[in-house]
Amino acid sequence: MKKLSTTLALAFAFIFSAFCADPAYENAMKKQVTAMKTIQTLEESQAVTNAFLRMAEAKPEEWLPLYYAAYLQTTAVFRFEVDKDQYLDQAMTLVEKAEKISVDNSEITAMKGYVVMGKISLDPASRGQSLSPQAMQLFGKAISLDRENPRALMLMSQMEQGMAQFFGSGPEKACGLARNAIALYSKEEAKVSDDYLLPTWGKAQAEQVANACN
Amino acid sequence: MNIRLILLSYFFLSQTQAFAQTTLSGRVLDEKNHPLPGVNVFVKGSFDGSSTDVAGAFQFETTESGLQILVFSMLGFESQELKIELVGRTINLPAVSLREEFNELNTVTISAGSMEASDEKKSVILRPLDIVTTPSANGDIIGAFQTLPGTSTVGNDGRLFVRGGDASEVGIYIDGLKVANSYGTTAANVPTRNRFNPNLFKGTFFSTGGYSAEYGQALSSALAMNTKDVAVRSQVDLSVLSVGAGYSHTLANDNRSISLSGNILDLTPYQALVKQNFDWERAPHGWDLELAAQSKLKKGGILKVLARTESGGMELWQAMPGISGKGVLVNLKNNYSYAQTNWRKAYENGWTLFAGASYSHNRDQVSYDSMEIDRANDLTHLKFTAVKDFSGRISAKSGVEFFIHSYAEKLVRSALSRSFDEQEGYLFTEWDWYLSRKLVLRGGLRAGHSKLADQSWADPRASFAYQVSENGTLSLAAGRFHQLPVDNFRVLNPNLQNSQANHLILNYLLQTDGITFRAETFYKSYDELALLEGNPQSPSLLKNGGSGYAKGFDVFFRDRQSIKNTDYWITYSFVDSKRSYNQYETQVQPDFAPKHNFSVVIKHFVPSLKSQIGASFSFNDGYTYTDPNFSGEMNSKTRSYQNLSLSWSYLPKPNLIIHGAVTNVLGSENIFGYNYTVAPDESGSYASLPIKQSAPRFIVIGVFLTLSKDKNANMLNNL
Repeated sequence: MKKLSTTLALAFAFIFSAFCADPAYENAMKKQVTAMKTIQTLEESQAVTNAFLRMAEAKPEEWLPLYYAAYLQTTAVFRFEVDKDQYLDQAMTLVEKAEKISVDNSEITAMKGYVVMGKISLDPASRGQSLSPQAMQLFGKAISLDRENPRALMLMSQMEQGMAQFFGSGPEKACGLARNAIALYSKEEAKVSDDYLLPTWGKAQAEQVANACN
Repeated sequence: MNIRLILLSYFFLSQTQAFAQTTLSGRVLDEKNHPLPGVNVFVKGSFDGSSTDVAGAFQFETTESGLQILVFSMLGFESQELKIELVGRTINLPAVSLREEFNELNTVTISAGSMEASDEKKSVILRPLDIVTTPSANGDIIGAFQTLPGTSTVGNDGRLFVRGGDASEVGIYIDGLKVANSYGTTAANVPTRNRFNPNLFKGTFFSTGGYSAEYGQALSSALAMNTKDVAVRSQVDLSVLSVGAGYSHTLANDNRSISLSGNILDLTPYQALVKQNFDWERAPHGWDLELAAQSKLKKGGILKVLARTESGGMELWQAMPGISGKGVLVNLKNNYSYAQTNWRKAYENGWTLFAGASYSHNRDQVSYDSMEIDRANDLTHLKFTAVKDFSGRISAKSGVEFFIHSYAEKLVRSALSRSFDEQEGYLFTEWDWYLSRKLVLRGGLRAGHSKLADQSWADPRASFAYQVSENGTLSLAAGRFHQLPVDNFRVLNPNLQNSQANHLILNYLLQTDGITFRAETFYKSYDELALLEGNPQSPSLLKNGGSGYAKGFDVFFRDRQSIKNTDYWITYSFVDSKRSYNQYETQVQPDFAPKHNFSVVIKHFVPSLKSQIGASFSFNDGYTYTDPNFSGEMNSKTRSYQNLSLSWSYLPKPNLIIHGAVTNVLGSENIFGYNYTVAPDESGSYASLPIKQSAPRFIVIGVFLTLSKDKNANMLNNL
């Protein structure tokens, strides 16, 4: 009997903690999401990544810290001098962990495609053939999971732009996607408040694709 | 009361009582005592932690208390955990050092004797795409490998010949499982191709010697092809060629994919248009069906199935020296099936298990003049391997294999037949030991037993690699290899024992992002090769006892960066090989081992034309043959062999490719040897006919179309 009540109490506590916001976690996340926006150096990037990894470790039921850690690992490849393949491999490991926590998540799926795109960019001539369909499939899946996800559209527009350049075809497809993405970013901005923890990045990249259209 | 319980209750109490913060500080170093920046240091299960700075130092405050675990983790290093009691005051920890993690990306690899075609590695000798875009290869895997160091082109045969070894000395594997009769059956001097479509494979590992203990029954070389994983999207592929047509349908979801394909081939219309050197009654023709399925399993791991069945044939007149008229009529029918399945799973504790089974069946019905021969060959291969990774510094691969093999041949008219049944068992183990990131030692042992030959043997293998500079690696490989003689010899004398070879290889490999340079020198000895009376087509009195050697060197240079949109590679191989084998009593240079072998492949992408233009050139200094008008064996040599091939691939849309290729553009009249009459004529001389190419050149034009019927087709239809 005693055992049963303990189990019940534990189960209740678990459900309670899962449904109830954890202010310590939210505060810590908020601090790092803010810090993330002002990263200038590899050291800063590493410090924020590490903070997200600590939160991922302490809160194994949350996908967001893993997502941001993967995002920072991936952007570090484009911004800083690092062992690029190693960073992307680790980003992929983090994305795969996040996927297990939150199944069929549009943001995570788009992030996975972003990592694959990073892999392609390191050696497009030989990786493009096998990895491009994989990246496109992931972006397509991310879009179908959430039609309002601007990042999925933006990343697909970047991919389209790259392929149009490679095949010498027109930029219409990339431009259309980028314009739609920008519209979705504006919609997203309306929702964003100080407490907003979900991903908001990528508008500048969408604009970059759109700017090449005129 | 138990002392542990007291401690526990003390910590429990202290946790609730203490509100004081603890400040933790310290330093993290690498193995060489250099400061390590960017290390994540934190109290396990809390958000409290920090990263080390440029001096490897860290400092942070934590509200946690009592006995806690402090974690030090960093990408590329083994994590460390430290038990610590937090008591509400400053704790200055002694320096902690982290050990670098060894993985495939940051450690040296053994490159002696081996070449890899893969998309995953940054620098490789050959890429999977190269197999379909090398002009002289015409989409044949083997054709592409013939442009690599250590190989010889034998233009009237088409199979892979490695470093003075004959074609049977190359073991061919798919996902680690043996493929018997992997080349199409063909008539004498009509070159063959590998049966398997290069698009099935994501990567290929080609060894020209000194290879892993995982492979055996191959004196010269192992060619291991790895099939693709789960396909990413559903699609239809259509191809129409000047010599046939193909259809392939792939269905895929996130965890599973299956593809079915079929091809038909008939050279009749082509031969009506393009002049042939041979006199064909029925041009080569055939069909094939192939099924490939992949499935990711729920609890991790992947299951694959591959099955193929095909049928084909040809009929032609083979000219005979000293006889006027068309010569001898040869008719050939072939039926072939191959099926395999394999399962692989990597466990979190460092184990990777593999289990697989393959079955090959081949039947040839050959009529040669009035003689009809029916041959059947069946091979079953069962294999289980286990790989254990110990901390990334030591890893071991071990396995057990079993082969069931039967061969039968009969003369249809006289109802005479002969056959054998064979069972072979193997055990192997191989250990990799990383002494540092720059130095690896590998030792392996392979033991086998053949029931038919009633023989047991063991082959030791060893190699090591040392990284001599940032991009340069030196490696050495040595080993012993056993192989039983070919089936049509063993059926005549089932007591034939293994032939044996010893390899010694020294390799230097320089790889940067766009340039690969590879130089290799080798020595190989042969013993107990099969000897016979007569000739290999109608042998008698078979026995072991032939011996020989092959020695030489080869160089390879590939450059993808110096010239814009251009990728080229140059190969030169020198082989000095002599052996007593088959009917040759003295050690002679075999007719399949030209001394000087040279090839160049160039591919140039022209964005304005949306085209890739390719050229390949092969050269060797000629093939040996025996001229009975003079004394001695293999006393003559043909003129040099030359082949310039060109190709053009045009991509008007990303899903449409129009491809054209011409081999032997210059029309070089290559000769592979001479056939002589059995007896001299009245004047005492033997009449001869040159062995020529089947046609001066070969032209292929094809259209390849991919249609994607994905759920997101509107988004993806431009791929």
